[in-house]
Amino acid sequence: MEQKRPGLIRSLQRRLEQKELSCRELTEEYLKAIERDNPALNAYILTTRLAALETAERVDARLAAGEKLLPLEGIPMTLKDNISTDGIETTCCSKILKGYTPIYDASVWGLLKKNNAVLLGKTNMDEFAMGSSSENSCFGGSKNPHNTERVAGGSSGGGASAVAGNLAAYALGSDTGGSIRQPASFCGVVGLKPTYGAVSRYGLIAYASSLDQIGPIAATVEDAAAVFDAISLPDPMDSTCRGKQSAVSGILTGEIEGLRIGVAKEYFDGIKQPEVAAALEKAVRTYEKLGAKIVSFELPILKYALPVYYILACAEATSNLGRYDGIRYGYRTENYKNINEMICKTRSEGFGAEVKRRIMLGNYVLSSGYYDAYYKKAQNLRGTIVKAFQSAFEQCDVILAPTVPMTAFPVGFTGQDQVETYLTDICTVPVNIAGLPGVSVPCGRDGKGLPIGMQLIGNSFREGIILNAAYAFEQRDEYLSECFSKVEMGVKF
Amino acid sequence: MAVVTKEEILKIANLSKLWVSEEELEALTRDMGEIIEFANTINAVSDSAEEFDGIHRLSNVFRPDEVIPSYPREKILKNVDGGEDGYFPVKKRG
Repeated sequence: MEQKRPGLIRSLQRRLEQKELSCRELTEEYLKAIERDNPALNAYILTTRLAALETAERVDARLAAGEKLLPLEGIPMTLKDNISTDGIETTCCSKILKGYTPIYDASVWGLLKKNNAVLLGKTNMDEFAMGSSSENSCFGGSKNPHNTERVAGGSSGGGASAVAGNLAAYALGSDTGGSIRQPASFCGVVGLKPTYGAVSRYGLIAYASSLDQIGPIAATVEDAAAVFDAISLPDPMDSTCRGKQSAVSGILTGEIEGLRIGVAKEYFDGIKQPEVAAALEKAVRTYEKLGAKIVSFELPILKYALPVYYILACAEATSNLGRYDGIRYGYRTENYKNINEMICKTRSEGFGAEVKRRIMLGNYVLSSGYYDAYYKKAQNLRGTIVKAFQSAFEQCDVILAPTVPMTAFPVGFTGQDQVETYLTDICTVPVNIAGLPGVSVPCGRDGKGLPIGMQLIGNSFREGIILNAAYAFEQRDEYLSECFSKVEMGVKF
Repeated sequence: MAVVTKEEILKIANLSKLWVSEEELEALTRDMGEIIEFANTINAVSDSAEEFDGIHRLSNVFRPDEVIPSYPREKILKNVDGGEDGYFPVKKRG
């Protein structure tokens, strides 16, 4: 089929190979754009100018020697600030990790570095990936390039803002309860949360280890697929990681005749904006026209996914964040009388309010007398949710759902009511609980011009199926006029 | 009735190695109460007999246990300004 929306990575690599521009020029374009537009977006919290230009020159030397470009080689990109980078400060946007410089690379970054990916900098996020607006960052929140009075979403808000604002060709984020898909939806870009175990978590600073997964935020489905292919490999450093089953880039045909698309009522019940409901209904009809078969069913257990998520994620966070004691790295309090006081003061001064709440909730649900009623109960319900999805995937190949029940929140919204904020994660958390892959793709705009996202969920290790379904949707004539919103910011192509 | 008392919040804060000031305690007790009430909604489902047995179809990926070089001590101590005599320093207190 004719490609209506070509991938950005492939078109940039073609221009590099045809010597239309050098990698150094391309990198400088991005760095200039960041300097100009980042103050409005706060997407980057750190730029790595010198290292980026060094890599670019290495790429130019290889091109001059007549070498062919490796996958993703020479493409300017960014990493969320919870992905460890050897020699480059990595803070999780928390005061407690200010000044911390990892001594090793996260495996995903190691893979990309080997291919001469051009790292432009580290992007903003909610502190320790806990939040839905990136406003829990100690650097202040990231803004939405479509309207800077709206948030970019979270927790990988900086990455989504950078990609949507043309300040990076793609970004790596992490998704524990929707942190890739939700900001991708708010910013009108593509975000893929891979199957648990498809991408190595080594070097990803842990929030909730049984839910965390690294994935791409990109301009198009083809770009997301290319990045996924490059990072989804087994890793001796992560015993839960077995990598992808097969490459997904090559199978993007847009051919979906006979594909069974499941629609579960529960996903649509919580939609807060009529425009979101309308865009999703239209997407279902579009798929029908493209030859898919729509299957309706109910998933009543989803009602409990959100409290199950918060109980399990916080319980795991409590343990993962126990390591921040001020002794080995990061922030340490100034004055203390003994070791216990040093640890307590360091943690109290170093963690932000939301992180403290989640650590405390985790300790509460794990503490004696409450363990069975909360933690154990939530674990058992997790098993029930996993099984519910398995039986759903006997009836369909892909589940179509909203990514978020609304479009991007106004700046300041999430600080008001914690439970109300948690409720906005209702459509994204089930995928993490069940360890499934999910992709968010733009599917419309609201009255204010803010992007609406659609989520396609697949069975374990079936990234290829959901990406191809997303590709079919994206490559229609109507996509550019109805779903895509160009942002007049960043690098002009 | 409050779902969670101030005393409980102080106990949990202590377990979490966090200090809660008098001023913070009121708001934190209220916020935590709301969050715990929300978490408690799972107890409306009748007890399922099923035990969680890990994410479906996932199992550990094992590899041979080979001895490989670890990180040099000097590199690890870089994050505490080089450390002292090869250790993480903590101020000596009375």
